[in-house]
Amino acid sequence: MRKFLVISIPVVTIILFILIMQGGNVLKRPLGNEVGIPKTIEMIVQDIKNENWDSASNHWDNLSKDWDKVIKRVQFSAERNEIEGLSLSIASLKGAIEAQDQSSGLQLSYQAYEHWEDLGE
Amino acid sequence: MSEGLVVVVRSVIGFFSLLIFARIIGKSQISQLTFFDYVLGITIGSMAASLATDLSSRAWPHWVALASWSALGFIMEKITVKWRYASKFLEGEPVIVIMNGKIMEEVMKKMKYTVSEIMGLLRNKGIFDVKQVEFAILEPNGQLSVLQKPEHLPLTPQDMKIKVSSSGISSELIYDGILIEQNLRQLKKDKKWLIKELKKQGIHDVSEVFYASLNPAGNLYVDRYQDRLQSVLDIGDYKGPY
Repeated sequence: MRKFLVISIPVVTIILFILIMQGGNVLKRPLGNEVGIPKTIEMIVQDIKNENWDSASNHWDNLSKDWDKVIKRVQFSAERNEIEGLSLSIASLKGAIEAQDQSSGLQLSYQAYEHWEDLGE
Repeated sequence: MSEGLVVVVRSVIGFFSLLIFARIIGKSQISQLTFFDYVLGITIGSMAASLATDLSSRAWPHWVALASWSALGFIMEKITVKWRYASKFLEGEPVIVIMNGKIMEEVMKKMKYTVSEIMGLLRNKGIFDVKQVEFAILEPNGQLSVLQKPEHLPLTPQDMKIKVSSSGISSELIYDGILIEQNLRQLKKDKKWLIKELKKQGIHDVSEVFYASLNPAGNLYVDRYQDRLQSVLDIGDYKGPY
């Protein structure tokens, strides 16, 4: 029993650490009633292409709320620069939507999507 | 993102990973370390520090590096234990630096040791005259093992043909005012006996004792919290804040 504990406790600890460090890919996926970051970005891109700015603004609010929840889950496995990069892209996207700037809106949407792809990779 | 919390979690990961890996590698004594073990330890420690505080990169690559270096250290350890030929190359081997009072200059040059360093190591062993040394061996961990010439070796009871009894290893009976009953049982004694012995020394309760031990020959050593010394010697050579 003692030998079992001496071996199993470190093994379980190491597995737990690996899960925390590698859990980013799983934890960034939508949980509960979240729509999911990539899907929301896609919807914003469509709204910007159609110049549907009110809908884009509503979708941006959902994106911002979802992102705040995701940060708490992925902060232990993702690098700070990617988290900050995505936060910055989302904040800038708000400005582009308010200014109804289609070109900047699309650029920032794809930039946010790229940061999302690299998050926890 | 709560940076403080992330650093705490990553520190816990680094700390316990380091502890587990260090236990697996198995070097428990700093004095056993070769120069390579020492460098390996510093490198692994540096990786653990980066894992905890470098938030600009993910924890995972740091942890993988930590695990890889530990695994390599473990493999090297196994190789040196199982394969003496490799051990000679990887860990080095003991070399004679003084023989019959003569310094082996060529060996010292090869080992990159100066005479003053060897003299310092000799003085650490309590030897101030090279002529007294029959053999001085430089160990792979940097320590000097010295065999003095027979005429300079200390006299032992065996030389004098005096019979001595083994004092054995003392067991702690009381530490910090708390009785260690397990050790008392091992020595086939009980609390009643101990209290009787303490009373003989004017002690009425176990809590008055800081440390007590008993050796197999039956000698009880007792140190009280109040040492009742008339004047305590101060070895400080200049005045300080306390």
